[in-house]
Amino acid sequence: MVAHAQTMNAELPAFVRRLSPAFAALPLGPALTLSLRALARRRPAVFERLGEFRRERYFIDPVDLGFAFTVVPDGERAQVSVARKGEAATCAIVIRGPLLALLALLDGSRDGDALFFNRIIAIGGRTEAVVALRNAIEDAELTPADFVGLDGPLARLADAGVLGGLDMARRLAAAAPARAGREP
Amino acid sequence: MWPQRMELVCPAGTPATLRAAVQAGADAVYCGFRDDTNARNFPGLNFSVPELAEGVRFAHGLGAKVLVAINTFARVGEVDRWRRAADAAVECGADAIIACDVAVLDHVARNHSGRVRLHLSVQAAAGTPEAIGFYARTFGVRRVVIPRVLSVQEIAALNRAIDVETEAFVFGGLCVMIEGRCYLSSYATGRSPNLNGVCSPPEEVSYDEDADGMAARLSGFTIDRYRPGEPAGYPTLCKGRFAAGGKASYLFEEPVSLNAGSLIAGFKAAGVTALKIEGRQRGKGYVAEVVRAFRSAVDAVEAGGDAVEIDRLLAAQSEGGRQTAGAYRKTWR
Repeated sequence: MVAHAQTMNAELPAFVRRLSPAFAALPLGPALTLSLRALARRRPAVFERLGEFRRERYFIDPVDLGFAFTVVPDGERAQVSVARKGEAATCAIVIRGPLLALLALLDGSRDGDALFFNRIIAIGGRTEAVVALRNAIEDAELTPADFVGLDGPLARLADAGVLGGLDMARRLAAAAPARAGREP
Repeated sequence: MWPQRMELVCPAGTPATLRAAVQAGADAVYCGFRDDTNARNFPGLNFSVPELAEGVRFAHGLGAKVLVAINTFARVGEVDRWRRAADAAVECGADAIIACDVAVLDHVARNHSGRVRLHLSVQAAAGTPEAIGFYARTFGVRRVVIPRVLSVQEIAALNRAIDVETEAFVFGGLCVMIEGRCYLSSYATGRSPNLNGVCSPPEEVSYDEDADGMAARLSGFTIDRYRPGEPAGYPTLCKGRFAAGGKASYLFEEPVSLNAGSLIAGFKAAGVTALKIEGRQRGKGYVAEVVRAFRSAVDAVEAGGDAVEIDRLLAAQSEGGRQTAGAYRKTWR
């Protein structure tokens, strides 16, 4: 259990964090927006499960990156933007945690309740919207291939590669010296 | 035919969890519609009518049953919604409806007799032969979910005095109160599990971080405070930590979970028909793991083996790791 918690609690290695300003310069917002809207076209029920909360603005803050995201998960009108850390107040809901733990929520490899109650992720704002998002993701059984619209053997290959890579990243991050060299 | 061996009844908050529970070995799953006709009315949880129909097809395909919880109390002037939920469950092919409200029970008994079984919800808090006999005679109730206030010996005595099946909770969250008679959530939020389908509704919950840690609040009432890094819990009033008499403590109930795994053989001897796992709001990974463990334990008991190890097997699954056999083993007597 301790080892498991350490894996989930692990933050990105320092050299990756130092690269994060470069990632922020990429058109991540538009790319993720297109991906989310494509997912909504293929799997509308995922977004219907959110009910009224699909129009809320969620502030997703990977604590080990130098930037955050705002997400409005409104199906085919979904919007993802890269945001500054200080913009949380513009959103009704805030979800914070290490990037790898947040990704584990998306791919369903970890339970959101366990991550929250073990204080690995933190939430703020409208709790009911977080609960709705958690339940919608829980039911969706999303895979990496869902986000790029792959099917068949290609999808299985992509899923195995991405999920295997994430699992390895978590292990490497957990094994790295604890928070050494963290950015101020 | 309903089996003579003990049946394992498992929670399904979403279609994905239903599939996970059935594949993990559930004999039956219980679930509810996406509204306040069921007692787990959380945002994003539960089933639409088409989802339930598909869930029933999936479960039946693997030999499992689907029990639909329509187990809140219908509000004055809105009873039709509860009746429509019952009609929809029958149309979807549900095997049983779990209900407590006499209007719902009466509607099903009058309109769907022979098409669906009636199970009496724990919310009805029927724990005496007289009460259970009334529901059986009047509405044709076939099974009673036993309130979590009786010992195994009392359940055995009850089973000898009634001629309907009994279903006992064996694992998961534990109410300190007699179900259906708790007003703590109503007091704090104006909403209750019995009428609105949710205890401590999430729209009334907030988690506020400060330098000392995190405060969990319900409608502005501070239910608990956690130091940085200290494991937290969902802020239900009955599991809150309050300062009184100069010290902070759990005034109503320690935040422990029910684990009656070691009593499975006792339940069998007491004549219990079905064992129920609580947790429709829990994730599919959790549900699948618990179901698999209890499937092994029940099978071991049915084969005449020993299930003593089950407590240890399930310890990691329980809230905060702390477990109790609750009233089933009344050690305070």
